[in-house]
Amino acid sequence: MTVASGSADYIGLANAPILWILAMAVMGVVVVQSLIYMTAVKKNAESAGMSQQEVRSAFRAGGVAAIGPSLSVVLVAIALLPLFGTPPVIVRVGLIGSAATEVASASLAAGTMGANLGDETFTRGVFIVALMAMSLSGAGWMISTLILTPIFKRSSHKLEKVNPALMSIIPGAALLAAFAALTFRELPKSPTHVIAVIVSAVVMSICLLLAKTLKQNWLKEWGLGISLLIGLVAAYFAHYAGLGMPEA
Amino acid sequence: MSSIITSPSHAAFERTTSRWGSITLFIGFLIATSVPFYLLFVADANIDLGEILKGFLAVFAVYGVFYIVEPLTYFPILGPAGMYQAFMIGNVANKLLPSAIVAQDTIGAKPGTRKGEYAATMAICGAAIIHVASMVIFVGILGTWLVSLIPEPVTLVAKLYILPAILGGVTVQLIASLKQLKSTLIALGMAALVILVLVRLVPVLAPGDVAIVVFLTILITWFTRNKAVTDKRPDSDGTDTVGIN
Repeated sequence: MTVASGSADYIGLANAPILWILAMAVMGVVVVQSLIYMTAVKKNAESAGMSQQEVRSAFRAGGVAAIGPSLSVVLVAIALLPLFGTPPVIVRVGLIGSAATEVASASLAAGTMGANLGDETFTRGVFIVALMAMSLSGAGWMISTLILTPIFKRSSHKLEKVNPALMSIIPGAALLAAFAALTFRELPKSPTHVIAVIVSAVVMSICLLLAKTLKQNWLKEWGLGISLLIGLVAAYFAHYAGLGMPEA
Repeated sequence: MSSIITSPSHAAFERTTSRWGSITLFIGFLIATSVPFYLLFVADANIDLGEILKGFLAVFAVYGVFYIVEPLTYFPILGPAGMYQAFMIGNVANKLLPSAIVAQDTIGAKPGTRKGEYAATMAICGAAIIHVASMVIFVGILGTWLVSLIPEPVTLVAKLYILPAILGGVTVQLIASLKQLKSTLIALGMAALVILVLVRLVPVLAPGDVAIVVFLTILITWFTRNKAVTDKRPDSDGTDTVGIN
């Protein structure tokens, strides 16, 4: 079907200037959206009994908490650069989806053409089909969010009218349930996954305890970064001690 | 427009975020989707539509359910405004929700309250700015240089264990921040039951596992709530140990 030439002959194409412009535009849209939202919160915070000081604190806390996760996502994204080129990685990992989803999608799509990620079967044609499949799949999430959100919104307003307590119970319970489920989902994968979860949880408990007893509020913000880092260090040693996943 | 407006400024917040949230998400979708189409037209790679369709269907078969299930799972947590942020930026469970939880914990706001919603929105904005900055600087500008610098074993560990290393900590902080002992126990119990038992017995349910846990937890929490406390005032700063305070 496609000419099996040099393995990464498409990389120049993938780094085309116009794709850089598109990638930066996508990042720009995220920034614009955030600026609009920030203005909306600032303007209306008073109505929720929230001071401007608290608005700023929430913004800073969110930003600080995102540093650890962002850097680890960067680490994974960088590993994908030789395979997809910089602009496609920024668009795919930087927008809906995550590094893991995108890699899985790419290898699924490549598989339909009898090709594998990262070897000489991954040609220009396979690359484009894989990127197309990843992009259309990402579009699926975005379109269904655009369609479903107004529908959910109407029904939640209706539920709220039926019983106001509903909306005060559901978000907390849903959050607890989602994170309990996401965490339990990691446990059966390998002993190293269990170690990563436990170490991260213990380190966070220590951070929060210290934050409370020593009145160091910054530990609440940095706790996630610290527990992520120590969790990964523990996973590093566990993985190379032979407790990791068999496949790379 | 919805008919229940409890406060004029909150209605303004909802209007602005719904309108501009959906517009920006749509623009993001257009630009992101144009990337492979551009390549398709300039690459001269001899691809036919059938191959693209086959590739997409292979991905759709695995992830198609999530297009519906994920918005459904996260809506009660994020609210309409947050939905347009979350499904633009992605990285919901490993970045955006953790940021929202940390921010609510820091300023002492509860999810499900207005203040909690605003705190979450600001937190996601903060996370979005860090996200964009890290992508542009470390991937865009320095990426090709860094890739030669970072040893492969380190990248591999980050790739494999990033999620469990985040989830352990976030879950603890969430539990500590909400202080809802009963909901916590119900959520952990349901998660253990569904993920470790039910999904193993009925593997078809696997794509909906988180949604099932969320649904069951909401249901049980709801029917076992302390009505005297929760049904009076949603925002009461009471001394209740159950429900939202």
